Amino acid sequence: MNSILSVQHLKKYFESQKAVDDITLTIDRGQIFGLLGPNGAGKTTLIRMITGIFYPDEGEILLNGKPFDPIKDVAQIGYMPEERGLYKKMKVGEQALYLAQLKGLSRKEAKQRIDKWFSRFGMESWWDKKVEDLSKGMGQKLQFVTTVLHDPSLIILDEPFSGLDPVNSNLIKDEIFRLAHEGATIIFSTHRMEQVEEICNHIALVNKGKKILDGTVKDTKQQYKLNQYKIEGEGLEKVDRITAPFTVISETENGIRVQIKEGNNQNAVLQFLIAQGVSIHAFQELLPSLNEIFIRLVEDSPLARTFDTP
Amino acid sequence: MNKTWIIIQREYLTRVRKKTFLLSTILFPLLYVGLIFGSAALTEGSKETLSIALIDNSGYFTKEALEKENKVDNSSILTLLNTNTSDSLDLEKEGYDGYLVIPALKWQEGVNNLSLSTYKSYGRGSTSVIEAKLNRIWQGVLNDSLQINQDQQAILAQSRIGFVTRNVNDVQADSNFAEGIGYVSGFLIYFILLIYGSQVMMGVMEEKTNRIAEVIVSSVRPFQMMLGKIVGVGAVALTQFGIWVAFIFAVYNLGKESGTSMGAMADAVGGVQKLFTSVNMPLILSFFAFYFLGGFFFYASLYGAIGSAVNEDMREAQSLSFPVTMLVIISFVMMTSAAANPTGPVAVWGSIIPFSSPIVMMVRIPYGVPGTVPIWQLALSMGMLVVSFLVTVWFAGKIYRTGILMYGKKASWKEMIKWAFRKN
Repeated sequence: MNSILSVQHLKKYFESQKAVDDITLTIDRGQIFGLLGPNGAGKTTLIRMITGIFYPDEGEILLNGKPFDPIKDVAQIGYMPEERGLYKKMKVGEQALYLAQLKGLSRKEAKQRIDKWFSRFGMESWWDKKVEDLSKGMGQKLQFVTTVLHDPSLIILDEPFSGLDPVNSNLIKDEIFRLAHEGATIIFSTHRMEQVEEICNHIALVNKGKKILDGTVKDTKQQYKLNQYKIEGEGLEKVDRITAPFTVISETENGIRVQIKEGNNQNAVLQFLIAQGVSIHAFQELLPSLNEIFIRLVEDSPLARTFDTP
Repeated sequence: MNKTWIIIQREYLTRVRKKTFLLSTILFPLLYVGLIFGSAALTEGSKETLSIALIDNSGYFTKEALEKENKVDNSSILTLLNTNTSDSLDLEKEGYDGYLVIPALKWQEGVNNLSLSTYKSYGRGSTSVIEAKLNRIWQGVLNDSLQINQDQQAILAQSRIGFVTRNVNDVQADSNFAEGIGYVSGFLIYFILLIYGSQVMMGVMEEKTNRIAEVIVSSVRPFQMMLGKIVGVGAVALTQFGIWVAFIFAVYNLGKESGTSMGAMADAVGGVQKLFTSVNMPLILSFFAFYFLGGFFFYASLYGAIGSAVNEDMREAQSLSFPVTMLVIISFVMMTSAAANPTGPVAVWGSIIPFSSPIVMMVRIPYGVPGTVPIWQLALSMGMLVVSFLVTVWFAGKIYRTGILMYGKKASWKEMIKWAFRKN
């Protein structure tokens, strides 16, 4: 059994909208899974069902192949919500102990793990500080520690980098990689597509309650590539653009961006350019960013249109 | 259940450790005692001397008799004027507060329809003294006219019939002590419901404002979270109450041992001790615990639900909690009426209807069970309170679960009720 989480035909309708409308997806163990979509796409509702905060209207959630039980399985999941916070008046150490105990750890065990994590993040001296005296970045670090303290096998992070400076972002990013390497599965929800490309190996795009795409980042980009290339070289301006197997989209300082015409491939382009006497410095495929793919999908799909006119 | 216990511990410890808890524990009794003595001092200070001119056409009211009375009680001064009417005189300018004209009359008839004319308004408390003075003088006139000697006067003055009320079904219940202890119990429950109810509300609002609600809800059920808070805060209230009771006993025992120097204080606390022995204390304490818990669960869950439905704005919370607070205040008003007449319709119905029963029933119970409060009323009241607090806790739990994760605009009562009846 390689999949840790599998949701099938999950539905959650609110009075005013279909927040999650028949979503099915499977997440493999050890994956860093990106759940993408604009604000209001239904990501948080989906996550709240996976974490047992909401009950689905319809559909099934399987954790480790067994039906998900919100009460028993709580120790397996570490969830850092987008709307996150801590008790401001509580001391850092007590706060961490409290949240760990709520996850089912004993006081003693919780203390040991907190010590381990605090020393990893250089937070040992914070123990008696009040949470309200921490900076925002420090608070986020503490929040992250309390999320993973109980060693969950499934870690769900909703917009984990919002409000973090680059240094702390990288720190958290490294921890995400390390935890995934140690065998944890990470679901990473965000509307900032560019963040996902470097972290996630698998993504699902969600819009208006429906899943519109699901796959590895690499495959997705290949699938939605437009056969566009960036070419740099000398003599490009003299090329006969009418007979060329490509059309020029734009001209840059050092070269051109081209779209390969139907029925041709990149080798044909290269052969043509060489034959025209161009000395090529660079020839690179332009893969669409996830953001571009998403915009294209949302704008083109009839699905999006039907949703626009309720 | 184990996690609810962890939540209860946190809610309890963070509150008990706060300085405000210590302060309110010390200050509240001081304030209460201060209020009693302060208002007594104020009434004392606000008494004024009434100067009344007496225009006597009967000839029975002599200057000597008036002066004798003025000496006995100087809170009002009666002065005899040598004139027949008040028309030609400007008595106000001469420093009088009012005047009284006594017509020509015979001693056998007496007079009932005199009027005291004053330049300002005075309460019955001030004017009844003057009436009493005139009556004593009139009594003297009657004694003289009937030729009743000193001994006979003494017999007349002493000989009267009086009685005190004793409830034969509850020989222990002494109505004076019962009223006192009922009042204190009712007032304490009223105080705890308002203060600690709103503490639950503020606690929930804090969790929403701090954005920690969702973090917690991913570990425990929202219902456990709400219940933990209510029980934790309730335990704080009980602790505070326990400290007060322990304090009273400590001072009492200390006063008893240290003898004379603390004598006055021991006397004061001795009154409390007498109170405790003159009524059925174990019965009252166990009912106090029951009605305290029932009332607290009833109101605290409603306050908790309101806290979950609003955002950080205190005014939103106030406007939404207004109906609930009104219920508590109405109960208090019913209590004052029930204390005066513990078997009247207000007392009976007020002690059965769940929202007011915790406060109203507590003033009736010290009068005695089953003498004043029949068993069927007590059973009905307790049963209804249990059922209705289960309903409000359930109802609040449903609202709480939705409200705690909602940000943005505040909900109305209508929306909250909709949340309560929505399926998961």
